[in-house]
Amino acid sequence: MTDITGGVSGVSGETDIPHADLLAAYAEVVYHRDGPLIAEKQAEIRQTLGDAAFVDCAAIAAAFHGFVRVADATGIPYEGAGGGTDTTDLRSELGIDQFYRIAGE
Amino acid sequence: MTISYPQSDLTVREDLIGAQTRFWEHLAAPGTWLSGAERVAIAAEVRNVRNCAFCKIQKDALSPNSGEGTHQSATDLSPMMVEVIHRIVNDPGRLTESWVRGAVDSGISDGAYVETIGLVSAAMIMDTFAAGIGHDDVPLPEPASGEPIRYTSSGAKRAAAWVPIVEPEDATEEDGDLYPGTRNAYILRALSSVPDTKQGYWDLAVTNYLPAEHMGDFDTHFRAISRNQIELIAARTSALHSCAY
Repeated sequence: MTDITGGVSGVSGETDIPHADLLAAYAEVVYHRDGPLIAEKQAEIRQTLGDAAFVDCAAIAAAFHGFVRVADATGIPYEGAGGGTDTTDLRSELGIDQFYRIAGE
Repeated sequence: MTISYPQSDLTVREDLIGAQTRFWEHLAAPGTWLSGAERVAIAAEVRNVRNCAFCKIQKDALSPNSGEGTHQSATDLSPMMVEVIHRIVNDPGRLTESWVRGAVDSGISDGAYVETIGLVSAAMIMDTFAAGIGHDDVPLPEPASGEPIRYTSSGAKRAAAWVPIVEPEDATEEDGDLYPGTRNAYILRALSSVPDTKQGYWDLAVTNYLPAEHMGDFDTHFRAISRNQIELIAARTSALHSCAY
């Protein structure tokens, strides 16, 4: 299984995902809609991974700005979202159990 | 009108342009419970959230329901519809069932609420993509005339979620092809009570992300970045939104 703990709290250590720091940083600047930093990360990703890869990065980030709202506004059950791989222990390890919806239950 | 990004020198995948163009047409058309004009107004209000001072207060508050104030609206949508749009855009991770039921009890029907979620979420995909490539918002489409179809799925029931859902076993022929393929995780069921909204949203969403039937395939590379890289961006974005799902 791929270690994506860096995706939840930010990449702070070793990971086997190529350019993880750069991709996580891009996701963050898109979330904050920081124009200058988006331009900076765009240039870096295009130079490092290519234009097609950058378009995919933008599309993925965009997709998940939609998915989170569908999930959170409809209140669909979050247990089992990982297809059986998500567990209470995993949510605790990643800090997801501190998210408002779960912490308030 | 085909979507384009003249301010960028990027070549955007044809399938993505196609999906975005289809969504803009879907947005402008009369929907299930909302007119074309209302639907386009929703997309305009989504953009207006960036300017809303009350949204900033709510986002920073310890409790999302604290703070007195009024959302700054850019449309003639009802105050409760504006509240719904602004909360979904601005602070989705802190939405609650009681807030949802309050919105529905105030007069926004379950169907209109689900339709609004689908449109808000898809509009966020459009606008976030534009911002993500350093481009201005794509101009909103002109609303089309016509009446909403006012369809309620006979299989929709409120049990597993805060809104009615058509479980796969309850889908009828009248709903259309609600669950093509074998995957039917709850994210795929969330908008099912309004089939037209589900179809419009997912056509755009999967073209940005991955086709639903491939979401469980971690070995094949469908994009110019690896599956691991895709999921890293997905996970970071979801965590920034504090999305438990």
